[in-house]
Amino acid sequence: MKAIEVEHLSKIFKVQQNRGGLKGALQDLFSRQYNEVAAVDDISFSIPQGEICGYIGENGAGKSTTIKMLTGILVPTSGRLNVGGYVPHEEREKFVRNIGVVFGQRSQLWWDIGVIESFGLLRKVYGVPEQDYRKRLDELVQRLDLGELLSRPVRKLSLGQRMRCELVAALLHNPSIVFLDEPTIGLDIIVKTEIREFLKDMNRQYGTTILLTTHDLQDIEALCSRVIMLDEGHVIYDGGLDTLKTRWGQGTRVTFRFGAACPLDRLRLLTGGLDVSWTADNELHAEVLVPGEVNVSDVLARVVGQAEITDIKITETTTDEIVRQIYRSGSAGLPEESVRAPHA
Amino acid sequence: MYYIGLVFEYLKNYMKTRLTYRADFWVEVISDLMTQATNLVFIFVVFGHTDSLGGWSEAEVIFVYGFFMVPYGLFSCFVNLWNFGDRYIVKGEMDRILTRPAYNLFQIFLENVDPPSLIGSLIGVVIMIASGGQLGLEFMWWHIPVMLLFSVSAMLIYSGVYITLTSVSFYSDSPTGIIPLLYNIQNYGRYPVTIYNRFIQVLLTWILPFAFVGVYPASLFLGRTEMFHMAWLTPVMGGVFLAIGVVSWNIGVKRYRGAGS
Repeated sequence: MKAIEVEHLSKIFKVQQNRGGLKGALQDLFSRQYNEVAAVDDISFSIPQGEICGYIGENGAGKSTTIKMLTGILVPTSGRLNVGGYVPHEEREKFVRNIGVVFGQRSQLWWDIGVIESFGLLRKVYGVPEQDYRKRLDELVQRLDLGELLSRPVRKLSLGQRMRCELVAALLHNPSIVFLDEPTIGLDIIVKTEIREFLKDMNRQYGTTILLTTHDLQDIEALCSRVIMLDEGHVIYDGGLDTLKTRWGQGTRVTFRFGAACPLDRLRLLTGGLDVSWTADNELHAEVLVPGEVNVSDVLARVVGQAEITDIKITETTTDEIVRQIYRSGSAGLPEESVRAPHA
Repeated sequence: MYYIGLVFEYLKNYMKTRLTYRADFWVEVISDLMTQATNLVFIFVVFGHTDSLGGWSEAEVIFVYGFFMVPYGLFSCFVNLWNFGDRYIVKGEMDRILTRPAYNLFQIFLENVDPPSLIGSLIGVVIMIASGGQLGLEFMWWHIPVMLLFSVSAMLIYSGVYITLTSVSFYSDSPTGIIPLLYNIQNYGRYPVTIYNRFIQVLLTWILPFAFVGVYPASLFLGRTEMFHMAWLTPVMGGVFLAIGVVSWNIGVKRYRGAGS
């Protein structure tokens, strides 16, 4: 069963254009010019139940706009969407009982009252029966180690503490689909890891479908089997993280430091027949790029016996690098077959 | 039932927050009462110069003012949209509201409840009793249910007008100056409309029907037979204006475009 289905979804914003200067401001007063900006432009994807899917893209790529349409906050300009059996913006009040939403930059909790009071109020708003609530709360409090925080007012919590409370607040009604918009923004590495572990457990235990946006690709690596990458409102990649790596990764980079001069030509000769490319700063230092198909050990075997080597460093292309490269090239420079990779 | 339960929950929460800022609470009550007192003083000053205003005596005008305070107190307590544009549109708190399973406008009312305003309603009742006594009005049993009906209807008229105008915030990014203007116009409704010229009378009766929040319903208790038919129109106007408000609100919410990231 599909938890989220999106077909040809678009959202167009009218943006007022301000003319410069005092004269321009006066002109704006009487006749305004509008620009139409497509924040999300004809995207389609579907997410099966129980999947954790990462939604990435640069600032302004349209991630938040998509999430806001999927959660029923914004009404799409065109396209069809179905989330957990509902059209979000049409049956908003019924639909939201089934989802949990965490906006990393915005709080769900009441600022001045104790955390536990906020939870109690949310219980009433969501109409969760007392018994279920107790059970669920105990479980979450224990899992996220909130014990002594519960009686403190939200304004006195640190960001990490608050974020853990936000998660509980979004999950009290045991939603089957959870949307997380930058859930780890501004958190230290320990809290980040804790939250990732928690989300993974929840997904395993309850089969919760999770869609998260993030700028921290470690979130994606730790959690997601699938990524959707967005650029200027278009989906530029949709598929497995592994596929992304093999398709876009440039393979492995091996750096050599030589004891005696070893010119490039000689190195090229040594690895003749293998599809690798050498670069060198000087004769004592060279770098070889080994694509995914070629075995790194083959390359090493050919070089090691023949040259006097003082140091070898092997580095894998990180997801960060891959993504940075894709962002930089944008959708235009992509190899055609990778645009819509098969779902992993 | 669900919604009534929520009202109590939010009121409980309001109390909890307010107990931490007790001084604030009293400052608010006192400043509210000061405003009302100045308005009353104004009436006394006017009647220091004349015995009757367009055929209305001092005690009658004060009775109308007392009536006005009752729905106005209810309105200020439960329907507070004063900072809606700033807080919910510009800061984007509407996002949070829209992801919760209760009617969004109702949630906004609940988040901004202001029980101290109800003290104004109580004082309004006291003023009506005092000036009614002065006028020699006889108290009847049906005054209570009718008073309740009219107060709630009048409050709905207020709510409808403010909801309609607040829903404009969904269309324009910048906060509009309409609401403060409205607060000025509504003041006219506290006095007998017959003292104004034709244009303002029509305005206050049919377009921004603030006369239904004061003089029309109060006339029933004052025995001003020439306005009885208008008095009984109050609940109808309440229904109509609330409906207009809710419909334009729902259209507006569809246009909500969120804020920030």
